Amino acid sequence: MSELDFGFMSEVAGTPRGSGILLCIQCGRCSSGCPVARLTNDHNPRRLMEMVVLGLKKEVLSTQLPWYCLSCFTCLDRCPQGGDVGDVMFAIRNLAAKQGNVPAGVAAQAKALYDTTRVINPVRSALGKRESMGFGRLDAEGLDEVQKILKRTGMDKIVSSTWEGRVKKT
Amino acid sequence: MKYAFFLGCLIPARELSYEASVRKVMPELGVELLDMKGANCCAPFSIQSVDYDSWLALAARDLCIAEEMGLDIMTLCNDCYESLLMVNTLLKRKPELKDRTNQILSDVGKEFKGKIEVKNLVDVLYGDVGIDKVKNVIKEPINGLKVGTQPGCHLTKPKRIHFELLRGFNELDELVQATGVESIPYERKEMCCGGPLRDINDDLSRKISRLKLMALKDAEVQAVVTVCPFCFLQLDLGQLEVKRHFNEEYNLPVIHFIELLRMGMGMKLEDWEIKAHRIPITDLFKGRL
Repeated sequence: MSELDFGFMSEVAGTPRGSGILLCIQCGRCSSGCPVARLTNDHNPRRLMEMVVLGLKKEVLSTQLPWYCLSCFTCLDRCPQGGDVGDVMFAIRNLAAKQGNVPAGVAAQAKALYDTTRVINPVRSALGKRESMGFGRLDAEGLDEVQKILKRTGMDKIVSSTWEGRVKKT
Repeated sequence: MKYAFFLGCLIPARELSYEASVRKVMPELGVELLDMKGANCCAPFSIQSVDYDSWLALAARDLCIAEEMGLDIMTLCNDCYESLLMVNTLLKRKPELKDRTNQILSDVGKEFKGKIEVKNLVDVLYGDVGIDKVKNVIKEPINGLKVGTQPGCHLTKPKRIHFELLRGFNELDELVQATGVESIPYERKEMCCGGPLRDINDDLSRKISRLKLMALKDAEVQAVVTVCPFCFLQLDLGQLEVKRHFNEEYNLPVIHFIELLRMGMGMKLEDWEIKAHRIPITDLFKGRL
């Protein structure tokens, strides 16, 4: 039996985008419309909401569970309670990220954003092609400001710890 | 008509052909696009998943740049659209969030005022240019072609934001039909392309695309028309991945809506633009390329 954290639901509800958890009546309309839930038993939004309500904090935040969501917002539109399930998913992922639970693909995008202002960057040949077409140059003039913003919000620490964590592991 | 042109990350990195067609076609319709100097990534799904305040501040920084230009934004990518639209709407509606974000932005000498709108290519063509003007520029209608349209999730969802802006499938379908092609209804049209799970869970990402491709094949369409570069990538390149992993061949050409419009206007695609499609489009558009 896992350890229960009875404050977990309040913690999620107190996170931006998380208050919808308080409206969940476990009807399952989110799961029945979820394209991912139809393909794998590992992802089930109704079950994830239930785990938050029950206080299964470790299972929710330390596993892959929050990261199966496409954020397609189908569940958000279907919730009869206006519970914004898709938004609660973001709240849960924000808490998971603070604990360093960030998939490699997401960590790479966050790192690229911090280093270049963009999550993906063109290869040299694409830049050359742009220039030959006479399109505007891709600038990084916002870099200083982007880094200042991310330092102020503390996201720089999440970026460096999740990124360095990856590099060390591999 | 002038817009602050928000290019995003994916298009300059992977889909230059999309940008090329937009820059060729839009001036013909009286739309002038001005580049946004110093813009940063919109902070899509992945970044929003990491930190909320960073999302608001990064998107608001882009909104501030457009405010300084005194122009509404036009995006091409659904993810850019969703992020910028949501933040613009949230900060306009909730003064406490606006204050919180402006405190962060004060470090970089910016202030969100809430003076502009965020639009995507479909909004601009349908709402501002107008369907009649689009019909008027079609010199060589593409008749006899059946397509399925893929509006993509973030063009139409969440509905609590999009409903009041009257955005949805119908606008894209009307625009597509204006070029002469027939837009065929199909099952799972509202379903996600699977793109957001790319690089997070590739197996599931492919399986979602496959469901979409199956539905399109069942409806016997000859091509898929996309507006979002992420949907394009996922359904075009994705077909090669589905072939490799499931040994199934769909051979469904995927085309950016703007390319369809361009061909309807009688402007030929260049060789490098044709080759940007992994599923060949040459047979389908013979004589127009």
